[in-house]
Amino acid sequence: MKDGSRTATRSRLARDAERDLVVAAEAGDREARRRLVETFLPVIAGMARTYRGAAVDREELVQEGIAGLLFATRRYDVALDTPFWAYASFWVRKAMQELVADLTRPVVLSDRAARDLARVTRARADHVSRHRREPTREDLSVATGLPVDQLDSLLAAQRAPLGLEEPLGGDGGTGTTVGEAIADPLAEQPYERVLDRIEIHEVRDLADRLDDRARTVVRAHYGLDQPAQTLGEIGATLGVTAERVRQIEAGALQSLRAALSVPARPPMGETT
Amino acid sequence: MRHNAFVYQSLDEYVARAAAFLREGLDAGEAAVVGQTRRGLAAMREALGADAQRVTFLNVEEAYTRPARTLAAYHEVYVDQFRNAPVVRVASDVQVGPSPGDWDEWLGYEAMMNHCFAHLPTWALCTYDANRLPDSVLDAVWRTHPEVLTDETWTASEHFEDPADVLRAITPEPVLLDELRPMPFADDLESFREHLAQELAAEGVSGAKSLDLLLAASELFANAVRHGAGVAEVRLGRAEGRFVCEVVDRGGGFDDPTAGYLAPREGVGSGLWVARQLLWRLELFHSPRGFTARAWL
Repeated sequence: MKDGSRTATRSRLARDAERDLVVAAEAGDREARRRLVETFLPVIAGMARTYRGAAVDREELVQEGIAGLLFATRRYDVALDTPFWAYASFWVRKAMQELVADLTRPVVLSDRAARDLARVTRARADHVSRHRREPTREDLSVATGLPVDQLDSLLAAQRAPLGLEEPLGGDGGTGTTVGEAIADPLAEQPYERVLDRIEIHEVRDLADRLDDRARTVVRAHYGLDQPAQTLGEIGATLGVTAERVRQIEAGALQSLRAALSVPARPPMGETT
Repeated sequence: MRHNAFVYQSLDEYVARAAAFLREGLDAGEAAVVGQTRRGLAAMREALGADAQRVTFLNVEEAYTRPARTLAAYHEVYVDQFRNAPVVRVASDVQVGPSPGDWDEWLGYEAMMNHCFAHLPTWALCTYDANRLPDSVLDAVWRTHPEVLTDETWTASEHFEDPADVLRAITPEPVLLDELRPMPFADDLESFREHLAQELAAEGVSGAKSLDLLLAASELFANAVRHGAGVAEVRLGRAEGRFVCEVVDRGGGFDDPTAGYLAPREGVGSGLWVARQLLWRLELFHSPRGFTARAWL
């Protein structure tokens, strides 16, 4: 084999491996997502460095970039003949730009928002004083009665981001800058948090919509993440006949189908 | 449905127009939905002030994945909103990617929006950022929206095309996949699913994804039995890194690029609608083997 064709074969194999990794990541395989992120983390971190003057936390930028990368897996189509990074880098950059624009947006709070923000600040101080730890968004939501998404807006408005070159600890600090103090994303694996966040948003196992018995039947009969069983075997475990198991399964599949095809019904049958 | 577009030059212009559009609806007792990126949502919340509490906010960074899934996501919003409102207004920022193939996908999405929700009393204002999007995408706005907002006036598009024609023009001709293998099957749906489940397990496909395909392929199999004079052949395997299942039927098939893109309604079968939202891609085409429904997982 000539060197040229060997290189072409290697490159083809690399392309196929990358494609398979992207497809597995899109399918929700956490290990594939982790490997994909590890592969592209250096370029994502490099892209984050270009926002050095934007007064935004580098780790946050990297996390947004990772979210952008994983979003790209949910859209990237190998049939489009575009290399994955050429496609994904667009979404990585866009995610970072969104964060920078969001955090550096001039914000004028209304009187009401200012009052709400004061409540949030008091609730946070109370929580830290009582529990010796920072409250979660949910803790703050319960304490203030404000919905979580409204909290997010208020907290985003409140933020006064430090510049990466700004010294920590004010004038009498150690001389360490914010940028230097931020943990190396490669070492700290901040992407684990991003993977968690994305998995929480993507509850995509339809079986979770079924009640326990129906879910048990469907998973056992079709061997979903477990060895497949006959209707008779499942019935013996559940203490019902095979025919009853068949009915439970039919009802389960029908209910999933119905849930995916609920028609929108305007009041009083209004249509245009 | 009224399906319009608005091309904006700045976030301020977007916010002013979209907030006014939604407020007008709220004042008339309609429901209001805004689909935007986080930055856009924050700006809209601020602009809407107290009215924001009556508006549903949808993060488009999560919703715009595959066109059929995005349509299904908006349909879920409609199902919810029509419980309490006679009319729903939506201002939604379209998320277009970096490649021409991606532009075509979302051109098709916009075209199908006209058919998908045609039966519902809704007014959708699709918003496009002139500073971020290529000219070809901005020009195509006129092909898929009957009216476009320009200089404070609604202008009827002279370039609007039949959505089916748009979809037909951008849908690539399916490639024959010789690498797929035949799968034995009986005439009943249950044994078809059992065989398919075995194949999926042997390929190491996760339980969640397997269930998606079992449901989607059941629809294709049932359609072939009900409308296609029976199943002639089932083929499956891997292509382009994905698990693929073909159901070939004995009937003459059909030629309708909009099949499966109509949101559920009286008198319209929803099998292909269900299949499209569960699959990466669904192709329906005539091949030398017969009329073929090809499911890409």
